[in-house]
Amino acid sequence: MKMADGSTILRRNRPGTKSKDFCRWPDEPLEEMDSTLAVQQFIQQMIKRDPSNVEIILTMPEAQDEGVWKYEHLRQFCMELNGLAVRLQKECSPTTCTQMTATDQWIFLCAAHKTPKECPAIDYTRHTLDGAACLLNSNKYFPSRVSIKDSSVTKLGSVCRRVYRIFSHAYFHHRRIFDEFETETFLCHRFTHFVTKYNLMSKENLIVPINEGNENTGPGESEA
Amino acid sequence: MGTNSGATAGINNKPVGGANSGIGGVLSNSLLGGGGVGSGGLSISGLNAGGQNANVGGLVGGGGNNGSDDGNGMPGVGGGPNNQQATTPQYTIPGILHFIQHEWSRFELERSQWDVDRAELQARIAMLLGERKCLESLKSDLTRRIKMLEYALRQERSKTYRLKYGTDPPQLNEFKPSNDDVGLAGDVATDSEVPYSSVSNTTWRQGRQMLRQYLAEIGYTDNIIDVRSNRVRSILGLNNNAEHDGGGGGVGLGTGGGENLSPNINGNESNKRASESEGRHTPAKKVQQSNDAIILDTEAAVMANFEFLGTTEMSDDDEISDDLEMVATDNDDTDVKLDQKRPKSGKEMLTEVDLEAEVGEQLLNDMNLMTEEVDGSLGLGELAQLTVNNDSDGSYDANSKDGTGGSAGGAGYRKTWNAKYTLRSHFDGVRSLIFHPEEPVLITASEDHTLKLWNLQKTVQAKKSASLDVEPLYTFRAHTGPVLCLGMSTNGETCYSGGLDGNIECWQLPSPNIDPYDCYDPSVHSATLEGHTDAVWGLTTMQNNIVSCSADGTVKLWSPYNKEPLLRTYTAAEAEGGPSSVDFVRNEVDHIVVAYNSAHCIIYDTETGKQVIKLEAAQEMSGNTGKFINKVVSHPTLPITITAHEDRHIRFWDNTSGTLVHSMVAHLEPVTSLAVDAHGLYLLSGSHDCSIRLWNLDNKTCVQEITAHRKKFDESIFDVAFHATKPYIASAGADGLAKVFV
Repeated sequence: MKMADGSTILRRNRPGTKSKDFCRWPDEPLEEMDSTLAVQQFIQQMIKRDPSNVEIILTMPEAQDEGVWKYEHLRQFCMELNGLAVRLQKECSPTTCTQMTATDQWIFLCAAHKTPKECPAIDYTRHTLDGAACLLNSNKYFPSRVSIKDSSVTKLGSVCRRVYRIFSHAYFHHRRIFDEFETETFLCHRFTHFVTKYNLMSKENLIVPINEGNENTGPGESEA
Repeated sequence: MGTNSGATAGINNKPVGGANSGIGGVLSNSLLGGGGVGSGGLSISGLNAGGQNANVGGLVGGGGNNGSDDGNGMPGVGGGPNNQQATTPQYTIPGILHFIQHEWSRFELERSQWDVDRAELQARIAMLLGERKCLESLKSDLTRRIKMLEYALRQERSKTYRLKYGTDPPQLNEFKPSNDDVGLAGDVATDSEVPYSSVSNTTWRQGRQMLRQYLAEIGYTDNIIDVRSNRVRSILGLNNNAEHDGGGGGVGLGTGGGENLSPNINGNESNKRASESEGRHTPAKKVQQSNDAIILDTEAAVMANFEFLGTTEMSDDDEISDDLEMVATDNDDTDVKLDQKRPKSGKEMLTEVDLEAEVGEQLLNDMNLMTEEVDGSLGLGELAQLTVNNDSDGSYDANSKDGTGGSAGGAGYRKTWNAKYTLRSHFDGVRSLIFHPEEPVLITASEDHTLKLWNLQKTVQAKKSASLDVEPLYTFRAHTGPVLCLGMSTNGETCYSGGLDGNIECWQLPSPNIDPYDCYDPSVHSATLEGHTDAVWGLTTMQNNIVSCSADGTVKLWSPYNKEPLLRTYTAAEAEGGPSSVDFVRNEVDHIVVAYNSAHCIIYDTETGKQVIKLEAAQEMSGNTGKFINKVVSHPTLPITITAHEDRHIRFWDNTSGTLVHSMVAHLEPVTSLAVDAHGLYLLSGSHDCSIRLWNLDNKTCVQEITAHRKKFDESIFDVAFHATKPYIASAGADGLAKVFV
């Protein structure tokens, strides 16, 4: 871990670091980060400090490029959604959830295929996350992490819409998993705030109820 | 005037007639049967427009006189112009002179043409002579073979006789083959694989020498080939003339020796035919062999030159006839021996040779640069070894890729690694990567909680860049935290990953041709090894066993598919701290080496669980604080352990004595990762200074440095790897990318 060499703080996870010490180093102000990955570092640092404090996590620093800010946040969401997918893998099987649904109103078609397909929910989840990983890392649309073309920023909305369905499926069909995950990460809460704040999804699509106004309170209150 | 012109005409006609022997003869034969004089008269009068009658008269007169003698012809011709002068008085001296000059130059031109023709015919004669000689020598060669075979037969018979009756047959000793015959016997033996084991090496060589002389002889007489190969020979200054004339001769044999020859030999028995076809190939082989010998003599530097010259030779190809091409091909065949691979078609060959020529040039440059480098790096203190020239660099002697490296020895062909594939799909730092033992397939493990499978043969061309993007084929999800380490079974079917969550997951690798958006198959995740109570930081495999080290302070040996997968746990003394890295000792079964926070390594016997030896340096005991070991690897063949340290050093330890063998500053920042290639010749190291470095293990020098990744916080490169059987190296970085170099 950090281990002060002289007076400088080295933010490293050395082999053998205990999991509780992983990434446990003093916060570094964004202005002092000279890396091209500064925004990611900053966001992760904020989440690490307090995952429930979504408002602070989502507050964009001054002089920050909004495209990059949204992009880095979405990367972080997709990354953390892996955790939900891992949990769903244990319970959500093609036999129990043959289609990707949330409420009975819609059946979502998997966009990862040449012609959209009615994938089982678990496949939809995996394909959507894999597809998002490819798109967000695509050299064509996102060649740089310090500046992003306007045309690529528009892609973020559709990624948001798709990955949100994973939350909604989990919420309506695997409530226990959803609650456990949400208690730990506040991810759906944060995500809902994120897409609302940056106008990436329309309100009527946000079907998972989250309890507004208690971001700073303890776990267990963010769902329903 | 009349006499004057007559005289001029006469004088003029003489040399013309002389020079004209060709055309004049033809003309006079067909028209009049007369000499050159008649034709001279004809042409002169032809020029003068008004002289039709005189012309005829001149002709007739010339013809008549010519019948008796030349001297009489003169007046006849003279009469012609005289007559003309009477009728056409517009003759002027300048006009005539001009005409004469014109004629003179025309005849000169024709003469030179005939000279050329004659030379051509002579050359043709020479060629035919050469061919004949060549056939003759082939014939004599074949008769020698017959004799030799007869001799062998006789020997064989005497042997059976001896075996039968126990005594030497009396008449057999009379026939003793000459030295030459024996020599040829040797040749045939090697070529046709007839087991004449009795023939000694020296006689074999003599025979070869002789045959080469034959070929040389033929080559010398063969003007055409000589002329053409002259140029080549001057280019190929290295090979002496005999060699190349030999080549020409070989060609002569090759082209002329085939079908044409058979009538000559048809008188002999049918097995001659077999040896005849052999004969066609033998000379070529001879050339090859002799070239081989030359190459062996002149070694590496010449080798490079030779290849370079090969280029020029090939580029002349268009104008040079087939014969020469054969010479060229012969040379190329010799190359094949060193190269192991060589495309057959001329064009491919050309490019290949070009490439090699470039390599040769580059090599020279490299050597220059390197000497400069050495000069420049004097007095830089401990960082001196760090200096590396990225342009000269590149000496991974890729045996698997290019055989020339081996042949040229230390100064041989050196490979420069270049980034080719960028593996982007992870959302966070890539902590570990591992290659499939055979396929161009690798797996990466990331802090984004996933592992991804990549097939380097499934690429997407990235726009305006030389590197290729690869899309992942499969995403392994089971860890609930960052994945920190990877291992793969020897057969490449199973892969293991250790994570911050303390679990080791076992995965059955999906096919490298799987559809990335296939249905979820839960059986890919085949097992979870639970036992560690904290982050698993190190994982390595040996046959079916894996050994892992964890932040919980233990090292565990597993047999993943046993009923009880955990075989044993090794715990060091409290003072050593937690383990940071682990590896199997590759040259000693049942030994593992574990690096501890104390900056010591301990080798355990896995069976007894006892400590075998502790790797520690007596002098360096003071101030071990900064010497934290990030990675430990075992040399694949030698009893050597290599450690990567936080204090920028790489250290080498002797496993038997436990002492420090070598220590060097390797990077500008902590060394995080190490990998040794399968042959144990090169070491790859990665560091938080964003670069990977390739080291020659022989002399511990850095042969290439590549800046590969960007920093995230104060971390940069987490892992490096060699492919066991293919020329790939790879690095994994905190920037979420993995890169593969070829």
